[in-house]
Amino acid sequence: MTATNLCCRTEWSKPANAPCERSSPVVQTRPASSSGKCRGDDYLCKPEDNIYNIDFTRFKIRDLETGTVLFEIAKPSASEQDEEDEDDNSELDASAGRFVRYQFTPAFLRLRTVGATVEFTVGEKPVSNFRMIERHYFRDRLLKNFDFDFGFCIPSSRNTCEHIYEFPQLSEDLIRLMVENPYETRSDSFYFVDNKLIMHNKADYAYNGGQ
Amino acid sequence: MSACFGKAERSLKDQCFRALCCKGPPPPRPEYDLVCIGLTGSGKTSLLSQLCSESAENIVSTTGFSIKAVPFQNAILNVKELGGADNIRKYWSRYYQGSQGVIFVLDSASSEDDLETARNELHSALQHPQLCTLPFLILANHQDKPAARSVQEIKKYFELEPLARGKRWILKPCSLDDMEAVKDSFSLLINLLEERDFEPSRM
Repeated sequence: MTATNLCCRTEWSKPANAPCERSSPVVQTRPASSSGKCRGDDYLCKPEDNIYNIDFTRFKIRDLETGTVLFEIAKPSASEQDEEDEDDNSELDASAGRFVRYQFTPAFLRLRTVGATVEFTVGEKPVSNFRMIERHYFRDRLLKNFDFDFGFCIPSSRNTCEHIYEFPQLSEDLIRLMVENPYETRSDSFYFVDNKLIMHNKADYAYNGGQ
Repeated sequence: MSACFGKAERSLKDQCFRALCCKGPPPPRPEYDLVCIGLTGSGKTSLLSQLCSESAENIVSTTGFSIKAVPFQNAILNVKELGGADNIRKYWSRYYQGSQGVIFVLDSASSEDDLETARNELHSALQHPQLCTLPFLILANHQDKPAARSVQEIKKYFELEPLARGKRWILKPCSLDDMEAVKDSFSLLINLLEERDFEPSRM
């Protein structure tokens, strides 16, 4: 699973209809400002450290065994965002842009291979050696570590990357615990340019959706 | 169980192994890192999307890179597709390092000027130090258009016989409405990539 950072005003498409019952997760996301959870002191860098203006604009998960799009979420276009920002700017808290909360159905944990696509834009400065390290935990236990080198990013570009992601083997006990303890599955995504940390995003996950 | 093993479909076989045989997963498919280049509008994104069983509708011009893992029965191709607009082509060589093969897509029905530009770009790639020893799959796309030039014409115009002599390349016609032919072309490329695996490594 790749979590990506999306701002409060993210729109999302309707949950995809998956023909296979095994993989029909329902996803809802809630913006950080309504989550009631301030995690501002937990971040390893500040929003201002993102001097390359890297912005994640789309995230999609496909079940590779059926080709079905399970989940897709995209940021509104820049013009739509500007209109809303004028009205609601005061409601954003410091962590709003860096935290996303996901709710999936239990079926999600039964997936084996998914294609996780991330789309991001880059500001006017070229970016060399862009690298992502992402870790997923249930409570204190590391479920998966994911390390991907994007390499060079062209200035003012929009880039996508689909990675084939294999779910870690989860025991039945662990699956049950994850379903019964919403939001105790968490992830940290660290983004580096030339080995310098420029972004740190967080997400948490529930698997009790639709119940 | 016999029904599963009778089928050529590898993923179904994988599922049967996992579910019934408890012998562990079959050995993973080899992966190859490829770069996919060509002028804007040649059809790179559309071809790769359809190879990944994704719709080619709503595709917009690539303005950076698009990395996709394209699965085949006997290999996974990690393709880094690069936008082909004028202002992006100058960055292509930043992505050549680490490539094991090249896919070059061209619009068979493009204008004379664009075809000349494509030829120049292909020649540059063929001669680039980081690509010159790699296998090339050259796809003469948009064959469905009335103005499409034939493969023979393209081979001649691009001077592939003299210029690509000694290199491993495949030139194939294609269009979005015949994906089976596209997959066959990629299979040929995978054969070339596999051959390479057995060569002694050189500095």
